[in-house]
Amino acid sequence: MKTIVLGVGNPILQDDGVGLHVIYALRQEMHDPMITLETASTGGMNLLDLIRGYEKVILIDAIKDHQSTPGEVKRCLLSDFHTVHSCNPHDVSLSEALLVAKQLGETHLPSEIILIGITVNHTDEFGEHLSSQVSAALPTAVAMVLEELKKA
Amino acid sequence: MKTITIDPITRLEGHGKINIFLNDQGDVENAYIQIPELRGFEKFSEGRRAEDMPQITSRICGVCPVPHHIASTKALDAAFHVDAPIAAKKLRELLYCGYIIYDHILHFYFLGGPDFVVGPEAPAAKRNIFGVIEKAGLEVGKDVIKHRAYGQKITAILGGKATHPVCGLPGGVSKGLSKEEVREIRDMVASCNTFAKFSLTLFEDIVLKNKVYVDLIRSDPYTLKVYNMGLVDKHDNLNFYDGLIRVTDQEAQQLEKFDVKDYTKHIAECVVEWSYMKYPYLKSVGWQGLTDGKKSGMYRVGPLGRLNAAEGMATPQADKEYKRMFDTLGGKPINSTLAFHWARLIELLYVTERAKELIEDPDITSSHIRNPVGTPGEGFGVVEAARGTLIHHYHVDKNGLIEKANMIVATTNNAGAITMSVRDAAKGVIHKGQVSDGLLNTVEMAFRAYDPCFGCATHTLPGGLPMTVNIYDHTKKLYKTVSQP
Repeated sequence: MKTIVLGVGNPILQDDGVGLHVIYALRQEMHDPMITLETASTGGMNLLDLIRGYEKVILIDAIKDHQSTPGEVKRCLLSDFHTVHSCNPHDVSLSEALLVAKQLGETHLPSEIILIGITVNHTDEFGEHLSSQVSAALPTAVAMVLEELKKA
Repeated sequence: MKTITIDPITRLEGHGKINIFLNDQGDVENAYIQIPELRGFEKFSEGRRAEDMPQITSRICGVCPVPHHIASTKALDAAFHVDAPIAAKKLRELLYCGYIIYDHILHFYFLGGPDFVVGPEAPAAKRNIFGVIEKAGLEVGKDVIKHRAYGQKITAILGGKATHPVCGLPGGVSKGLSKEEVREIRDMVASCNTFAKFSLTLFEDIVLKNKVYVDLIRSDPYTLKVYNMGLVDKHDNLNFYDGLIRVTDQEAQQLEKFDVKDYTKHIAECVVEWSYMKYPYLKSVGWQGLTDGKKSGMYRVGPLGRLNAAEGMATPQADKEYKRMFDTLGGKPINSTLAFHWARLIELLYVTERAKELIEDPDITSSHIRNPVGTPGEGFGVVEAARGTLIHHYHVDKNGLIEKANMIVATTNNAGAITMSVRDAAKGVIHKGQVSDGLLNTVEMAFRAYDPCFGCATHTLPGGLPMTVNIYDHTKKLYKTVSQP
């Protein structure tokens, strides 16, 4: 199954960049020509452009959840969210982008999208480093992605 | 005093929040937008290699990577005392045209436009791209997706990478264009031009031929008489990539025109109670608080600000549409906030024409695309981002490292105008504490017209879009919260 593992985040906004760090770690762990490891600092329609043509997508992203402590790793489906991305006022969510694409009869859309979310805290100050709690969650997140890949 | 908080704004998934303050009678006294600010950029930049700034600043915001990249590159030209070759300037401008194409298409069809195309009174669930497709047809939907992708493709070819370009260097660009790429871009640009003309026809048919919409555009709550600002070329025509910053007044007369290096002589910032946003204003006019009129230094930027601040468009099709807009809406300047959407489409037409000129220019395939840099120092760069004037300002030390960096982003330039537009729209539609979804949307329409862009960060699980209304008593103590799913 043609698969992309896509880490999403801003590399200069501290914990927001955790999805990218998971990809950096995965690049050390695995080399499989059938699986694309990619990073992106964008959302909505641009994300759609990146996942078009893949059957399975594993998105890795920072999430905020007021009920959780930073550093928890959760497996979610897109349907768990009313909106996934783009957390800015000038784009649509990935769910909305996918719906539009489907409605317009686009083929080559992924049949399965899984989100591995890492709960985060520090995202309103510029910086390249992850907080210690979020950094400590990287091995768990990497293991969860590898587990997902085995399912395919 | 009661406070009503709209959070988050439907279809605006940023962290922007609107607080509406009611008086004892339940009428609107004041309204503010609140946006959590991303902190520490100046400190983050200090000591970094200056040539990394176009890459770093393009990451500030997931919406405007291209304008940050180009403003930053231009600031580096100035800081390193180098003038980029003409071919490099044209390549940068062509890249920029691609960006405006996808950005304006996205806003008109997905975000701001649905209010008109589907209708301001339509249920919230219909005022989106799906409603547009339902009304305008599936083929239009396909064209929207296609041409937005063309804009992206053009920036990817020129920028070396989709979304986040990597081509800008002090003194030029790192990549030229092959003959094959020229052909590819030329075909896409031609198609985008046709689509831009179609979009204006759609706007004419659906909006301008509907008296209710035109009346809404011209209504008092959506009228704001502030100064207008935008970049212009030597003929005072609108320009996205380069030129002088021109400010015009409420009679469409030029107040001032200045080079970006003098921006601190013309623009100052003020902080007001109840908001942690800084409000820029024109120094020569002065700060009178959040009020419009000739005595107040408030101004606006973005599509309508630009068209008002210019004398015309540099390309024939767009110039014709430009004149038609002012004729239709009663001359210059247009103070109707909702006319931003029309102005945006005229700009879309302009960039497709300008892109055609650039791609047909023999310079565009030149291999002379970079000049050697000089000694580093202070530099300023300015471009017109889709949503308004964007300024970068750096001090670079003798080793080429950043000593100090400052920026004024488009949405900051518009902060005062957005706040006033939201307040006035609220005044027009909220009476005696009566607030419904339809009324709230009217307020949001004022906000969305500006296509504001706030630093984007993370996402909230479960990611729903509940509308939460917080009502505070006169001691500002929360006594009631009403939430809508």
